[in-house]
Parts: sequence; structure tokens; C-alpha cells
Amino acid sequence: MMYEEKGNEGFLRPLINAYSTLPLHGITAIPGKISGALMVADAIEDAVPLIHGPVGCSFQRKINPFRPYLPFYETPCTDMNDLEVVYGGEDKLRMGIREVYERHHPNLIVVITTCASDLIGDDFKAVIEETKAKGDVGCEVVYTTGDFTEKSKPVGYQDALYAITDQMLCNGVEKGVTDKNDGSVNIVTFPIHGAGLKVAEMASVLNEMGIGINKVCFDHTRVEDLYDLPKAELTITDYPMAWAKLMKARMGVDYYATVGLEEYRNSRDPELLSPYGIEGSARVFFEIAKRMGKEGEAEEVIERRKKEASERLSEVKKGLEGKKVAYSGMGGLHSLEVMLLRDIGMDASVIIYKTLGLERILSKDAIEELLNITLEWARKYGSDPEVLLNPTTEEEIKAMKKTGTDIAVLSSLTNAVHEYNKEGIRTFNPMDFMLHHQRIGFECPIELAILLKEALKKPQRRNPLLCMLKYDSRRTNLIPHWAKLADMFMTLREGAIGDTDRAAYLK
Amino acid sequence: MKEGSNHEKEIKAREGLVYDPTQDCKLVGAARALAGIKDAVTIVHARPGCHCGVLLLRALGSNQNDIRIVGTGFRAQDMVYGAEGRLATAIRLSYKNFKPSLIAVLNCSAPAIMGDDVEGVVLSMKEEIPAEIFALSTGGYEGPAWIGYEETLAELTRFMVLSETESDKVNLIGFKQDDIKAYSDLLEIERMLNSSGITINTVLTNSTFDEIKNAPRASLNVVLGGDGLECAKIMQEKFDIPYIVTPYPFGLNNSIEFLESVTKSLNKEVSEEFITAEKNSIKERIERIFLFLQGIYDTSVAVVGDSARAYDLAKFLSDELCLNVKVLAITSRNHISRDKAKANEDYFETLLIEPDRFEMNEVIKSKGVEMIFGSTMEKKLAYELGVPLVRIFYPVIDEVSISDAPYAGFRGTPHLIEKIVNSVINNYVEV
Repeated sequence: MMYEEKGNEGFLRPLINAYSTLPLHGITAIPGKISGALMVADAIEDAVPLIHGPVGCSFQRKINPFRPYLPFYETPCTDMNDLEVVYGGEDKLRMGIREVYERHHPNLIVVITTCASDLIGDDFKAVIEETKAKGDVGCEVVYTTGDFTEKSKPVGYQDALYAITDQMLCNGVEKGVTDKNDGSVNIVTFPIHGAGLKVAEMASVLNEMGIGINKVCFDHTRVEDLYDLPKAELTITDYPMAWAKLMKARMGVDYYATVGLEEYRNSRDPELLSPYGIEGSARVFFEIAKRMGKEGEAEEVIERRKKEASERLSEVKKGLEGKKVAYSGMGGLHSLEVMLLRDIGMDASVIIYKTLGLERILSKDAIEELLNITLEWARKYGSDPEVLLNPTTEEEIKAMKKTGTDIAVLSSLTNAVHEYNKEGIRTFNPMDFMLHHQRIGFECPIELAILLKEALKKPQRRNPLLCMLKYDSRRTNLIPHWAKLADMFMTLREGAIGDTDRAAYLK
Repeated sequence: MKEGSNHEKEIKAREGLVYDPTQDCKLVGAARALAGIKDAVTIVHARPGCHCGVLLLRALGSNQNDIRIVGTGFRAQDMVYGAEGRLATAIRLSYKNFKPSLIAVLNCSAPAIMGDDVEGVVLSMKEEIPAEIFALSTGGYEGPAWIGYEETLAELTRFMVLSETESDKVNLIGFKQDDIKAYSDLLEIERMLNSSGITINTVLTNSTFDEIKNAPRASLNVVLGGDGLECAKIMQEKFDIPYIVTPYPFGLNNSIEFLESVTKSLNKEVSEEFITAEKNSIKERIERIFLFLQGIYDTSVAVVGDSARAYDLAKFLSDELCLNVKVLAITSRNHISRDKAKANEDYFETLLIEPDRFEMNEVIKSKGVEMIFGSTMEKKLAYELGVPLVRIFYPVIDEVSISDAPYAGFRGTPHLIEKIVNSVINNYVEV
């Protein structure tokens, strides 16, 4: 990733932001498995993808929904055509692997299969094993089909990592045989999250507890780094990952997900969903220490770091405490509200819930649970917010004015923030914070406080040109045209729709 | 493989089996053609990746308020049981939401291999839906984008209605409204034609479905750079409308040639007064920056783009700006690409036809190129070479164009020159 490279950041941040409001992921479309798998292949510096499919599966995926601001320039494919669809594409795959190796001399080739090659039943495994056995290539070759991880999302990303673990890291290695880097952990985040930038504080806290960092992925990660992953005692991921579970089963490397979805299911304690803020970070650090048998060392380090951060925060947040904040309740505590209320001491004035379309993918109870989590959290910290369910922009503004809201922490991806600005309500972009700042650690809430203070001082924007446009009354950030696309997408993705219609059609 | 030499030209085709493509698949060619039908909806009957890919291309590379791309919600289990029901729902919802005149179903790799009865669904929906519906087979393995484009335009001729032709009315064929500067280019082309008393009847494609049906009213089909030739041939056979292939009017001489060939085909005289005025206007403008034009004289450049426009841009750069076109890479062919390659022209040094990206980059890197004319996909190459990139060809997803400043035609010439000179002198360099 070029994210943290010096000199790029000034260009990169606005570039990322410019593309960040595209209403794609789960709103009007779903990226296919190839996009996710390419994210993995691209994040490994000495790996090259080989897309086993037609040209479109390669060319179209150069523009990747996970990273639309930066195309994937190298996406070689086997150029599958109708001949292969009839007679099979194994020969082309065999030759393709050889050619990619001769051309790029990578240390890993990630074969990404496509609809066409999956459906015709090419035996990828046999081709790869044969190619490797013959010594045709001097590198590792793995293949990812999207079927290894029972559709854990993002499918392509999860599946490619699983494939690398299964076919490369754990292949032929017996449990306990690997050299160990005792007392160390791996820190693994999604490639677009800018690992190098975001885990520095975590690494420093863990080091102070006596926990070593075996590897940080993905941060200029190479194949040799991947081979070192099993040397750690624990792998820390940002959410549950199938490949980490596999490495535990095969290599005995335990895993820990900072967002405790599995634990939440048992305890229903919403705090487990937030690894952020001073308390959230302290909990995560302590849980990691516990897994590593370092509770004793951890206690002192965490307390000291917490104290230092809290002291600094109490200075920085002066003037913010008690300020009234409006925010979205759809994050289920995974977003900023934990820090806004608990760390900074702001007062929740308005919580906005947008459930449109959710009823098609979540049960009524699950939606209810999601809504309750944020509301209960606000009440726990002494707020009595006005709750708006699928409001219009006018209703939002009315509630914010009525409650004397000082700042709306809402994004253009979900809300018509320009309309708030026009009405004199200041805004803070949570999407920008999430993309560039949000991380586990004690420094993050301090940074948030500084940025919020800056946002409160920003000049009023009284005449945003964006207010000239007509927006949908329900999907308030979208013009009616896109709202229709979103509504249609939600309906069409629903499982039962097609089945019902198929029955009707067949009659 | 070296195909052959002709007047110092070197013509190369792809060598390896592995293909890092410079062009998209049939689906995208068809989707591009359909996007220009203003009241049509395109249904991408495919796994989610294809739908998302086409939607993303449209959202980033064209008007964000005019995306009429719908998926069918195809899920993994549909690979076993079929997704015909989903397609029927998508057609119904498309009509309900957009009230289109045309719904085009693009049947992609997965359902095509599975054997979904797409034609059957379309047929069964025709009674229910008061819009034209047709399906095209656009499996990725069936061919590249230009084939999809040609087949879609050819399919549209089925709906055209035989009518009395109107004199001095032309259809433009091969226009793509998601090319950078497309709208302002079209305005300029229209202005140029109007200067000779010629009006545009239908643009294939940048028209309503009704206008497309009425395309046979035109007395001439103007095929821009050769894209859509198949459609023009069918219209000639079916409706007796003659056609001409013109250059895409980049630069002064291509613009004059464009205008002269259209007027000549309509037995009209080109307005010399108009041409003189336009020439004077260009002269007056280039005079203002003549020192820079002298300065960039003979700069070595590469042109990487589709056949319909790249040849003509290269000719303008070589003949008029006197840049040295070291490499001309045709990323996507059409029916006249080979003829153009073999023509006795000398405005490029090395010609690559549908090259593999890796091989193309190697060639460009070896030629001492100092500027690239291409698409967003050449950004990394330009960065690696440390040279300016002027974005002219599809896809451009990292530059927007909402002003009325064309690249085509007489008015486009100064603007294009301005863009080129600025791209050279804008850069910060340390020496």
C-alpha cells in the first residue's frame, strides 16, 4: 500500500474521500469475489494474480469497488473464450501459470477462478499440483474459488486468505513443527485500512507489555512474511476470519478478533462490539494480554497509558463536554458514539436510524436489537436523545434545531449534510474519521476531540450548491434516480423473491 | 509476433497466451451502446460482480444522474436452480420504476453457461410489460467489448421503422456518450454540420428509443471512426441509407475532412466561409502560445486508445502538432482497424493491435516516450515513466468533464492543445 508513504498522503486523503460516497456496497450492488481476492493478491508485494476467465473478469476488476480511487493495473488473465467453455480451460491455466511466472518471477501466483471456469468444472487443484510437481514454476501457486469459507464476507477476501493458509502456509506442515517466535502476535487488518499507520500504537502498547509483534499485515507484506505468520502465538484480526480459525486448527496459532461478534452472541454485551475509545482499547489490550499470559504486566501498562491519555484528553476536550451531538444509530456501537459520549462527554441530542431495506436482510428482532443498543448506550451516559426512525431531512433538521444540537456527526454517504449546513448546523464527517483515523488505542479519542473542536470552529456554509438538487425523501443522501436503484437492488437481492417468481413464471 | 512491416512501420500483435487486457468484454461494449439510449434500462443478468463492475464503470465514468443499470440479484443457489424468476422480477421492477421504452437484458457468463432460458422469460414478459424487451448474449467468453457494441447497434436496427428520408439529415453512428468530453464533442459536431445546413436525426447512441426507431429518416449514416459499421451496413441493406466512415474530428484537418466527406456525400458544398473563420479562430489562439508549441515540437509520445479515435488523434498529433508518435496502441479494434493499419500512412512508428498490457508497457518504456495519450489505465505507466498523461480514451474514471469545452472539431482543437501544453508545463519537478 502506498497509503502511508511520505509525500502521498496529501494527495491520497482527498482522493480516497472523493470516491467514498459511492452508494455501492450493499446499497445498489455487491462486489464479486474477484474484487476481494484481488485485494489480497495486491496486498502481497511479491504476489501476482492470475484470473482464470474471460477478459472482462480481468479488465472490469481493474476498477475495484473496495478501492475505486486506485485501479489494479496488473490483472493478467487466461483469456478464456468459447472454445475453453466447451473443451475445458485446464491447458490454458497450465500454460498461463508458467507464463505469468516467466513474465513476473513472483513468489506467489494467486489463481482466481471465475463464473466461467467454475461452471465448466476445471480441476484447478490438479493443474496447480501438476505444474508445481513438474517444477515448471519456482514459486508458490494457490487458487481461490470463493467456496472455501462458506460465503463469509467479503467472500473473495476471506476465501483468498483461506486459500493461502490452507494450500501454502499449512500445506504439509505438522502442528508444532514450526519454529516459534515465542510471546509474539500477528496483527492483521483489511488491506485498505492502512495497517502500518493504524496499528503503531497497538504495537507499542503490546511491546511494553512484553508481547512481541511477529508480523503486521498488510503493510508491505511479502510471501516470506506470510510464512512467518505461524510463528506467532496469537493472530489479532479486526473481525472473525476463517483463515485464522484454520491456522488455529492446523498450526495451533490462536486468534482474537477485536470486534467480538462471537462473544456478543453469547453475552449480548454491546461493549464487545466496540474496540475503540479508552475503555474499549483497554479491554482489547487486556484480553490480548490474557491470551498471552501477560495479565500482570498488562495491568500496569494499560493503567499508565490510560492515565496519560485521559489527562491529555481532559485538557483537549475542554469546551466539548456537554455539547449536543446528533449521530446515526446504525453502527451498533462499532462507530464513533462510544468515544463521543464516554470519552469526550458529549450529549446525544438526536439519534437517527435508517432501516430502509434492512428488513429484507435482517429479522425484525435483529433490527430492534440494533436500534436498542445505541439508545441504551446514550441513556447509560445520561443522554435523553430524540430518536428518529427513517426521517426526512426536514424532520432531522427540525429535531436538531429543537434540541439545540451543536454538531451532527453524519456522513454524506447516509445523510444530506449540506442541508444541515445550510440551516446553520455544523457537521463532522464520520466517514473521513473512520477511513483515516479510527483505530484501537488511547490516542484516537484525543485526535477525535481535536478534530471535533476544529469542526465546531469551521465557518458556516450557507449556500451549498448541493442544495440545488432534489433528493429522495427516504434515502436522503441520494437523488431519486439512485434511490430507485437502491430500492430495486434490495428487492432483487431478497432470497424469496426469485423463488416465488420462478414458481409463478413456471406456471 | 511481428505481423509485417510497411513503410518503416512496425505492426505487432499479442505474443503470449496470458492476457492482461487493454479492453473489456462483450458485456461492457453492449452496456455502453445501450447507455446512450436515453429511455432504456439495461438489466445485467449475472453474478453480482458483473453488475457491480458495470455500475461502477458508469458511476465513475459518465453522468452520475443517469445510471440505468439493474442487476437481477443472482445468488449462488441460482447456479443450481436457475435465475429466470429473478430476471422476470428485474424486468417488472425496471418497468415499474423507470417506465422505460426499452428494456435490454444482457445475459452474462454464469446464466449463459447454465442455460437460463432468457429468451423465454423475455417472450413471456412481453404481454405484461408495455415496453420493448430484448435479450443479448454477452458471456464474457464470447468476445471483447467492440463485438458487444457492434452486435447491440445491429440489434437496434430490428426496431427501426422504414420511413421517408429527409434531405440533409444524418445519423451519427459510433458515438459513445461515456467517452470523456462526449457531450461537448457532440455539440461541436452538431455545430459543424449545421454550418453546412445539415442536421442530426439520430445519434447511435445518444437518443431516445423513438429517435432510434426513426433513424431511417436520415439520408446518410455517418460512422465515426468505423465503430458501428455493421449497423450502417444493415441499414443500407434494409433501408437503402448510404453510409460513410469519417475520422473522429480531432484537430483541424480531421475536422475539415469530416465536414467535407459528409457534405460531399449529401451532394452539398462545404461552407468555405465557415472553414476560413474556424481556421482563423484556431490560428489566433495558437498564436498566443506559439513559443510553447515550438517548445514541445517533436516530443515523443504514445497513443493508447480505441481504434475509432486513436488513429485520428495520432494523425492530429503527428501532422499538426508535430509530435513524434512512437507507439500507437489500439486497445480495442473495429471492422476497419486492419485497413487503417495497412494504409499508407506514416504518422506513427510502432503499431500495437489489442496488445497485452505488460507487453505494451515494455514497448512504450523502451521507446523514450515523453507523454502518453490514453485512459485512466495508463496512469501507473505514466507515473513510472514520469511523463504526463492526457486522458482521451475510455475508460476515464479519474477526470470529470462537465464544461462545454470539446476535444473534437474546430472548437475542440484549441482546447485539446491547451490540455496538452498544460499537462507538460503544469508539473513540479526538481532539477
